[in-house]
Amino acid sequence: MAEEIKLMKGNEAIAHAAIRYGVDGYFGYPITPQSEILETLMVEKPWESTGMVVLQAESEVAAINMVYGGAGTGKRVMTSSSSPGISLKQEGVSYLAGADLPCLIVNVMRGGPGLGTIQPSQADYFQTVKGGGHGDYRLITLAPSSVQEMADFVGLGFDLAFKYNNPAIILADGIIGQMMEKVVLPSQRPRKTEAEIIADSPWATYGKKERKRNVITSLELDPESMEQNNIRFQEKYRRIEENEVRYEEFECEDAEYLLVAFGSSARICQKVVENARAEGIKLGLLRPITLWPFPTKAIQDFANRVKGILSVELNAGQMVEDIRLAVNGKIKVEHFGRLGGIVFTPDEILEALKEKII
Amino acid sequence: MKKEIIIAGFGGQGVLSMGKILAYSGLMEGKEVSWMPSYGPEQRGGTANVTVILSDDRISSPVLNEYDIAIILNQPSMDKFENKVKKGGILIYDGYGIHTPVKRDDIRIYRIDAMDAATEMKNEKVFNMLILGGLLKVCPMVKLENVLLGLKKSLPERHHKLLPMNEEAIKKGMQIIQQV
Repeated sequence: MAEEIKLMKGNEAIAHAAIRYGVDGYFGYPITPQSEILETLMVEKPWESTGMVVLQAESEVAAINMVYGGAGTGKRVMTSSSSPGISLKQEGVSYLAGADLPCLIVNVMRGGPGLGTIQPSQADYFQTVKGGGHGDYRLITLAPSSVQEMADFVGLGFDLAFKYNNPAIILADGIIGQMMEKVVLPSQRPRKTEAEIIADSPWATYGKKERKRNVITSLELDPESMEQNNIRFQEKYRRIEENEVRYEEFECEDAEYLLVAFGSSARICQKVVENARAEGIKLGLLRPITLWPFPTKAIQDFANRVKGILSVELNAGQMVEDIRLAVNGKIKVEHFGRLGGIVFTPDEILEALKEKII
Repeated sequence: MKKEIIIAGFGGQGVLSMGKILAYSGLMEGKEVSWMPSYGPEQRGGTANVTVILSDDRISSPVLNEYDIAIILNQPSMDKFENKVKKGGILIYDGYGIHTPVKRDDIRIYRIDAMDAATEMKNEKVFNMLILGGLLKVCPMVKLENVLLGLKKSLPERHHKLLPMNEEAIKKGMQIIQQV
């Protein structure tokens, strides 16, 4: 399977990219708006081609714990769900983080809280970048804004997860999951051999043989050792913050005002920038690609260059807090959002910019 | 070239699949395309709509304020989208589903009696292909040969025997669309 241009939904792109990246196992449970990930994997039957395991678990909790077990053996394993299902997984996510395990999680967000709606939302920002599960941990968080990035971030997510031995998450939403666009799928890569797993992940429980026993656990009853574990986690998080910040600028060179938006909102905001510039407003857009680590330094720089920032999110104001921390009161920072599964139009955003910032 | 299109009607009328065929046709012609459905409990009996964008350049937002072309297949969709057609744009509606006349006088309005024609052809499933034919007649944004290729790409292989019937419906749709 060589590179080829296809038309597909974001969810389908994730499934195809997982097979082609050489993922060893997918464990999931269906929920709208991301069910096409599991469905596509079932249609493609990768267990016949690459040997990848695809399993519909009995619940979200079972699925994330299968990921915990698979990740402990050094395999490339993943799960996906949507907001309420991701909430169910949080205990397992915290355990994965606490055991230094690499894996990929996908959240195609829908409106909440509770069971909420099945329409697009970005209200799980706090859950994803501030915690979600218990304890001082971080998830490497990638926010795709196109079907192409849904495909690309599967590979990037696994690369980063294995580079730092830490869970990575793709934080998408119903728009990016359900829309169809052109996508170039990567070439098929082989799954890792046992020798490669042993070389890359010497900590893994791949069968003891001659070496000392490897232990995968997040439990440490001695608080002094647990503090040392936490210090090690924090050092790792600082390295990630130093090296892995990713963002994209759109029409920012001469911008007097700035929109900050991620995922599908960033796509809608590109149109807002086009429309605003047609009216003579010098507007730019900064799109964080990694939500954690957050592009704090880039936003600090903009605080010296622009007159005001509008954070545009499909929630009641979450990322805006990180922008305000970066800007530290230097310029005006406001939020505009729609809630519960309603998606804003470009006109609504431009009106909010005029009303709140200009 | 950039066309921003909304197709809106009842679930089950083939709104989403018509949009898909249009998107595939654009892909065949080397254009940038986006297909954004209203998804979820709106299928079967409720309202369903899909936004399709075909463009020579990179597409920014898949969500729009207003459209170059609106294809309206029931009254609730007319009420929702009539005022969202750009000035000078195109509105196409099926005569069967609409009871209040279109009020706009700054757009081009077309009527296509596709439901009647589908009944006449004894095949209600070609309804959406009749509409697609009408659209291509009044706004030939993609070549017919690419539409047929797109149709083939978007249909699973087990349905390829239905291709000639769909082609016939597209051509029929081109004949029966009328400017109002």
